[in-house]
Amino acid sequence: MMKRIQILFCLVMVAIMAPFAIQAESDGHSGELSPKDIIFEHLGDGYGWEVPFDHHHRIPLPVILVGKDGFHCFMSSKVADGKKYVDGDKTFFIPKEGDYKGKVVQQLADGSVYRPWDISITKNVCELFIACLLVLWSVFAVARWHSREMYKAPRKIRGILEVLIVFIYDGVIKPTLGNRTAKFGPFLLTVFFFILYLNLLGLMVVFPGGANLTGNIAVTLVLSVFTFFATNIFGTKHYWKDIFWPDVPLWLKFPIPIMPIIELFGVFTKPAALTVRLFANMMGGHMIVIVLTLLIFIFAALGPVVTGATTVVSIIFSVFMLLIDVLVSFIQAYVFTMLSTLFIAFGTDPGHHEEKKEAAEIKQIEEATAA
Amino acid sequence: MELFTPDFGLVFWMFVSFAVLLFILYKWGWPVIIKGVESRADLIDKGVEYAQEAKEQLQNAKKESEKYVAEARKQQADMLREADRMKSQIIDEARVAAQQEAKKVMDAAKVAIAQERKEAELQFRNEVSSFALDIASKVVRNELADEKAQTRLVDTLLDEMEKQN
Repeated sequence: MMKRIQILFCLVMVAIMAPFAIQAESDGHSGELSPKDIIFEHLGDGYGWEVPFDHHHRIPLPVILVGKDGFHCFMSSKVADGKKYVDGDKTFFIPKEGDYKGKVVQQLADGSVYRPWDISITKNVCELFIACLLVLWSVFAVARWHSREMYKAPRKIRGILEVLIVFIYDGVIKPTLGNRTAKFGPFLLTVFFFILYLNLLGLMVVFPGGANLTGNIAVTLVLSVFTFFATNIFGTKHYWKDIFWPDVPLWLKFPIPIMPIIELFGVFTKPAALTVRLFANMMGGHMIVIVLTLLIFIFAALGPVVTGATTVVSIIFSVFMLLIDVLVSFIQAYVFTMLSTLFIAFGTDPGHHEEKKEAAEIKQIEEATAA
Repeated sequence: MELFTPDFGLVFWMFVSFAVLLFILYKWGWPVIIKGVESRADLIDKGVEYAQEAKEQLQNAKKESEKYVAEARKQQADMLREADRMKSQIIDEARVAAQQEAKKVMDAAKVAIAQERKEAELQFRNEVSSFALDIASKVVRNELADEKAQTRLVDTLLDEMEKQN
């Protein structure tokens, strides 16, 4: 009962306070609210890392450019807020309009502007490194335990990690890959933990989270490219035969190779589906939470009562969405790992043993029914 | 759209960092964990198996001991019964032997008595006859005249004597 009263009190306070807060916020900002810009800013990358509750200061990160005249390296604070960074005869700045909006460009001596190869340590890259270090730390925490304590059961965080590892390894990888587990298991486990950590970090608002990485197509693309290579480099004769000469009626593959074309297309759509699934799911989740929060500011124009009500509803919904996103983080990491496992299993299937497996399964079912 | 075009810098760093991460974990991370987890699972399996075996053995031992106890009890009962039986048998035998012995003694006694009696009779008869002869001779001596009466007297005396015995 006391708890319910507390929650109710909090909600009422939020409803009352929200209009003031928004008033204060809009006093500081000049110009109109642009939901699209805010959403894209939150989903996208940045050259600096935002400081919580401060829109004007960013933690500077290094900008690394490979231009026509070699490497350039400087801190992002030098080009922040539309400033121009002049290094000898080279000028760098971030345009606010045009094709290169929001990206660092180089202005040549003749006044023409071009975008050099940009390998800056942006917010996303920084987050990427943090995630890598976290994965490294977690895996080595468990590995160290195993090499030091041998047969003792791990406790606390190591226990959770080991449960996850065993869940993926024994539940997904081993049953699907069989005798190829040792070869591809480490890759799939790495993918799982990497995606899971990035997903969860993406949900956190402040450091060490804050960057929406799995909702970025570059990250998911690279991950599925790895799966693509694992599938096709280690692809067996059986796999390639199924693509170029599948078991279908002859007229479907000769003289016009309809099925081979479809199959070949499938080779590329599989990783593409992986890329888009993870990217779209995570980006969608983030977008919904941002939009729900933005609703408060959009409705702010309609007066304090409406704003208060919207605030309560929005907060309840965004908390709900964030909780769902925690679940989705795990599910998407799991799904990506599972599908990668399946694709690799198809690609590296030695053939013939499938029939044996089927026969064994039928036998098993028969035995079960007999019992 | 900016969101749907992969950014070169991020792709580059992603590729590099993921490759490095994968390499490190492939070499030194996962194999250790997988090996550790599997060897521990084996150990636990073995432990459970061992425990079950021990339990079974214990149960067997219990059963065996119970069997032995029951057997011993049975043996004890058998022995007691046997002893009882032997006791009564001995008693019976002793009784029979005693009876036989007593009978033998009695028989011997009877035979001896009979013998003795016979001897006594014989002796008595002899004595009687000697008495008779004495009497007869006395009668003969004293009353030779009345011979017939004397003989009759002797005979009656003898008959009476015989009847008395």
